[in-house]
Amino acid sequence: MTQDRQDYVESTTPPAGYDPRREQCLDFHVEEDLAAMAGSDDKNFILTKVDTLFDWARLSSVWPVTFGLACCAIEMMAASATRYDIDRFGAGAFRATPRQADLMIVSGTVTAKMATRLKRIYDQMPEPKWVVAMGSCAIGGGPYFKYGYHVVKGVDFIVPVDVYIPGCPPRPEVLLDGLMRLQDKIRGRRGGSKPPKWVLDYAAKIPYVKR
Amino acid sequence: MEATAIHALLQSRFGDAVLDYVDGFEKGSLVAPGRVGEIAAFLRDDPALGFESLMCLTGLDWDGYDATGKGKSVDILGYDELGRPEASDRVGDGDLGVAYALYSPRHGHKHALYVRVPRAAPEVASTAGVWPTAAWHEREAWDLVGIRFAGHPDLKRILLDEAWEGHPLRKDYVMPGAWQGVPLDGRDYAACKWDESGVTLPDDVKRQDAATGPETGNQG
Amino acid sequence: MSETATGRGWAAQDVRRELHSELLEINMGPQHPATHGVLRLLVRTDGEIVHGVTAHIGYLHRCAEKIAEGCDWRQWMVYTDRFDYLAPINMNFGYAVAVERMLGVQVPERAEHIRVICAELQRIASHLIAIGTFGLDMGAWTPLLYCFREREEILNILERLSGGRMLYNYFDIGGLRFDAYDGFERDVLAFVNIMEQKIPEYDTLLSYNKIFIERTADVGVIDLATCLAYGCTGPVLRGAGVPFDCRKDDPYSIYDRFEFDIPYGEGEQGTVGDCWDRYMVRMREMYESCRIIRQAVDALPGGPVKAEDLKKLVKVPQGSLYTRTESSKGEIGFHIFADGGSKPFRTKVRSPSFSNLHVIEKVGPGMMLSDLVATVGSLDIVLGEIDR
Repeated sequence: MTQDRQDYVESTTPPAGYDPRREQCLDFHVEEDLAAMAGSDDKNFILTKVDTLFDWARLSSVWPVTFGLACCAIEMMAASATRYDIDRFGAGAFRATPRQADLMIVSGTVTAKMATRLKRIYDQMPEPKWVVAMGSCAIGGGPYFKYGYHVVKGVDFIVPVDVYIPGCPPRPEVLLDGLMRLQDKIRGRRGGSKPPKWVLDYAAKIPYVKR
Repeated sequence: MEATAIHALLQSRFGDAVLDYVDGFEKGSLVAPGRVGEIAAFLRDDPALGFESLMCLTGLDWDGYDATGKGKSVDILGYDELGRPEASDRVGDGDLGVAYALYSPRHGHKHALYVRVPRAAPEVASTAGVWPTAAWHEREAWDLVGIRFAGHPDLKRILLDEAWEGHPLRKDYVMPGAWQGVPLDGRDYAACKWDESGVTLPDDVKRQDAATGPETGNQG
Repeated sequence: MSETATGRGWAAQDVRRELHSELLEINMGPQHPATHGVLRLLVRTDGEIVHGVTAHIGYLHRCAEKIAEGCDWRQWMVYTDRFDYLAPINMNFGYAVAVERMLGVQVPERAEHIRVICAELQRIASHLIAIGTFGLDMGAWTPLLYCFREREEILNILERLSGGRMLYNYFDIGGLRFDAYDGFERDVLAFVNIMEQKIPEYDTLLSYNKIFIERTADVGVIDLATCLAYGCTGPVLRGAGVPFDCRKDDPYSIYDRFEFDIPYGEGEQGTVGDCWDRYMVRMREMYESCRIIRQAVDALPGGPVKAEDLKKLVKVPQGSLYTRTESSKGEIGFHIFADGGSKPFRTKVRSPSFSNLHVIEKVGPGMMLSDLVATVGSLDIVLGEIDR
């Protein structure tokens, strides 16, 4: 029994209908197991949060929606083709429907006519979802800023953007780099919440986990 | 056949509907806007001319054109460096025009037709019945310059949305700030404050963001 | 039990009236993998049969013609790159030729040769994409990967030449921005040697594949009269059986010095002007481009690459001129109106894909929905130049 739980039992009256036997049912002896594993020579286990695990899964299989708008779409195709092979980063499954995708690479100039469609496609994507603005046009209108009466001066007017990739068009390497920056972002997205104390205590005993 | 000979042939056939011979790089005839259709049909069907191919159809706005050749034509309006539409109290005048570039695959000669119409009532006879490819080009000329083509089977905007206001390739066109909730002007990035938590947008930008609908951010 | 319900002979009856069915309107696009960009096709179908097609374009209208009126003659070269982003060199070429004709500038010999080499390399690259994505539309993923492999080699050469990987801005009015690097000829010849061996690979992969022929032969037939009426040019017109090519029939630059043939459709697998013919015209044009490149490299002279008597700020004399050149998609024309100043007064771009796409409204009705995808794919459109 940790200190926290004793405090809970001593200081709080149990709620109505509380059955102390339930607590026994829920006790899987996880702490003893973990202690045994931490003390043993078998180091083949990872102590993590479910959230971190989910994020790791998400960043390893970011599925982009097939959303080619203009010139940058060709570089996006090149990034997914023979030489660059975006599949190495788990983002090669370009989905034809937004319902199956979680990344929108806005690759090209967003026009007034397309903006409403872009917003709708973004809304159709399931949460969690990310947006990458690829190329100068998607970032801020690019070369069409001065006289572009039909060009939206940046896709962040329409949808929130996670990663901006500059270039006109960006090379496939830069797209891959942008994808890795997005993966960083997904990895560190839930930095606000802290794990429970007993998890931290056990983590501190494990020599190769840096806090 | 030489352009002068073609012009003479047109003049003998259509009389005062063929107004003038246009010399220069692209030689052609200036014709009356109401009779372009029949002239086009003659150009295509006459065996000696055989203009079966309409290479290009251009609508243009002659507003503020410097006819002296010094290049002092009027400047168009754009967005300023902060992305705000530039304004001007200048009122556009001058004619609108259409230019047809024709080619005869049979004989290998070229000719051009030019039309000028007044800005108040820009209406030209359609040639979509003669060259079907003109249908889309004329829709584009209506869309961007605002020239009506009488007798066109389906004259509506082609590049811009049907609800768009104004014709962008006119010289006095003022750039739009927004269209149906889609912001088209820029953002003053100097007024945006940057601190550790991120970018703080000024109030007017926030209002624009609200206009595009609720943001469903990455809170998932 | 009626005869219909037992299944005997119901096909002979007018099922549509009995079932009170009506035409179904389907939106293909603007976000659709088989429309090669942001094209929206409004298709009215009865089951699988297309009854009408309406093309809605303008989703990539980037105001390039308005921009032309606001920037000077040299600056606008950047925007011509972005019309046909699969063949930007050919767009540069068209605009440069148009302005040079009005200026009356003589381009140096070396610049002309390098221009031709670049344009033909770019034509091969563009046709590779056309073939690869056409295969993709037909359900064959593999050719695309092979096509990108060769395209990357071309991009390597052009990148080393110009500094840009995809959009080059390499041509300048009166010549080139800068001279070719040392060993340019060697790289080009090495590539051409490889390319000529690779084309038979594509033939075995795709051209004479039984499934591919079934999908494309006798499909989407566009005859000569339709081509002329709708202003179709390039491989679409040549696929209809006419060897018309601006490089030969309206010569520009130094194309009249080279020996090359113009491939055209002969109805080898079906009717003249079907999808397979258009596809094969592109395949054979890659051979011809290789031929032109070899001759141009052999004849490549030394000397300057810029016209000397040209100022930094070009002023084009007053007048209008329509100039057309042969892009990989067809006839790219620039109708330029100049007022004698440093800015274009009005520049109209007659883009090949614009007219080539228009014809889909004519030939679309009556075909199966899957054949519509094949036909659009065989037209090889690029939305950047349709919408400009």
